[in-house]
Amino acid sequence: MEVKKAIKRTISLFAISAKLDLVWLLRDTKFALAAILADAISNISVVSSVYLIAFRFGGIGGMSVDEVLFMMAYSTIVTGIFILFGSGNNIHISRIIGRGQLEHSFMQPLTLRAQLLTSGFSPFTGSSNFIIGCALLLISIYKLHLRITIWWILLLVIYILSTMVIIIARSYLVSSAAFYAPVAAEEISSTAIDGTWQLSTFPLSGMPYFIQLPLLTILPEGLMAWFPSLCLLGKTPMNFSEYYPLIYALIIALAANYIFRRGLNYYVKKGSNRYTPRGFRR
Amino acid sequence: MLKKAQIDIHPADSAVSLTNVTKIFTQWQRDNTGKGIIKNLIKPEKQTITALNNVTFTVKKGEFVAYAGPNGAGKSTTMKLLAGMLMPNKGNISVLSMSPQEQRIQLMNRLGILFGNRTELWWDHPIIQSFEWKKIVWGISDEVYKQNLTMVTDLLGIGSLHKTFARELSLGQRMRADLAMMLLHSPEIILLDEPTLGLDVVAKRQMIDFLKKINKENNVTIIVTSHDMDDLEEMAERILMISGGRIAFDGSFSELRSLTGNLTRVVITMEADSAPRIKNGNLLSSNNGLFEYDIDLAKTSIKDLLSQLSEVKGVRDVEIKKAPIEQVIAGLYKVWGSGARIG
Repeated sequence: MEVKKAIKRTISLFAISAKLDLVWLLRDTKFALAAILADAISNISVVSSVYLIAFRFGGIGGMSVDEVLFMMAYSTIVTGIFILFGSGNNIHISRIIGRGQLEHSFMQPLTLRAQLLTSGFSPFTGSSNFIIGCALLLISIYKLHLRITIWWILLLVIYILSTMVIIIARSYLVSSAAFYAPVAAEEISSTAIDGTWQLSTFPLSGMPYFIQLPLLTILPEGLMAWFPSLCLLGKTPMNFSEYYPLIYALIIALAANYIFRRGLNYYVKKGSNRYTPRGFRR
Repeated sequence: MLKKAQIDIHPADSAVSLTNVTKIFTQWQRDNTGKGIIKNLIKPEKQTITALNNVTFTVKKGEFVAYAGPNGAGKSTTMKLLAGMLMPNKGNISVLSMSPQEQRIQLMNRLGILFGNRTELWWDHPIIQSFEWKKIVWGISDEVYKQNLTMVTDLLGIGSLHKTFARELSLGQRMRADLAMMLLHSPEIILLDEPTLGLDVVAKRQMIDFLKKINKENNVTIIVTSHDMDDLEEMAERILMISGGRIAFDGSFSELRSLTGNLTRVVITMEADSAPRIKNGNLLSSNNGLFEYDIDLAKTSIKDLLSQLSEVKGVRDVEIKKAPIEQVIAGLYKVWGSGARIG
């Protein structure tokens, strides 16, 4: 009964975020459509450049053109989910922390987790990349003649989820700095995530080991699309386990959870005086 | 890990209770000299600020309490502690018999908070959209929502603003809309931090009348901070004054006045432009035969005053009124600032 109630409540929170997104879109449709289109073009051009190189040279580092397309599809879907659920700075959380806007969250009778999960949901203005990613995925599956089973689809979902966990955990990990240095670290999440985003769309196949290894451990850009794509294609690279992205996601999520909680405790102990009276930005 | 505040069980009629609450902040310090900058790199200088020092007070259900004090006295800190936005370093806090830090979610369903310098409205949406968002997030039933929306719309006169985008509202309109939104879930306690900040006389009047009404008719407990002491005197029955992190006064406004010696203003209109001599009277202003004095009724009684005036020739009119509360408070702040105690 309690679970049913919680699910119903979560759906209603997603629904109100979706409604806010829709009415925002309808307020000035021309402007909103232009923004959506620009966003889609910008993200597609990032993956297109890599695809065009692969097309020109008949593949990259041992990956065929269609395999590169599959990887680009994976990357676009991940970007799409990021925009779909994270448009309210709930993923780039350093902005909320740095601006002292967590106080808005404390006023709501909801757990912080529920607020962060639902407040950035924007299915109307933020779904273009996700849809394009899905279309690219279907094309690449068709071109690669992949045999699609329920298990493969489940694996795809698990890999995408683990990639999302890594992105969010990375953001929350670095965003924790904003609890201690709100001015300096207000934009740290976007710097850390967006700053290396282009790297995550590049196939690392054929790269020397000393480049591949750091990009799968210290700066996990290889886990954003390259590694999981090859796992899904049955070509797990570098003799790593195919469960590596899941293990990495678990470890970084636990670390982020610990560090973020410590930061949050610091915040409620010290407070924040960075709030700008007219700077209502959510 | 942070030491969590303990939950106190308080009598059913207690709305808010603080027991020995201490809140300490640290501030970074640095001078502008080269030596200071280098020293700051090696060993940053920090200053400890005790925002609240062993503060204890109780507010009963249905009370309208003014929470006043000079800048930096700890008013906003107290509000944030009561709303669970900050944790105390020491002491117990109970709001509606709940710990704001441990039972924040349950408490937020029964408490409303409004900061005069910020808004909870969605900036890029009409205010009715913000109200609807609140309905969902707070889980307000259709019946309660409709009833409260009608009530706040009528009382605050915001019917014509429902479709207006929050970013288009004037400060007074925005404050009314924020106040309306805060009341949609029927809070039992409302905390208002500088709600009249920047409002013109009409908007201020509307807000004060509204707050008095919901306090009286709906028995809503209200704790309000403001720099405008006249506003506070008009709204609240009780005033809690905080200075240097400590409760410096807790009582009624008349008790507060008597603390500073029962200051009274006497305006005397004379036929000629010569000031009458009043024993123990402090002449504040003179203008075309109109003379205004400060008189401490603890030193000079009304009887003595009238007897003195009866002997003065050329008196056309005498008006006796209370000294403005601002003057009383200014006197108190001055004394507290010097470290002395009153009473």
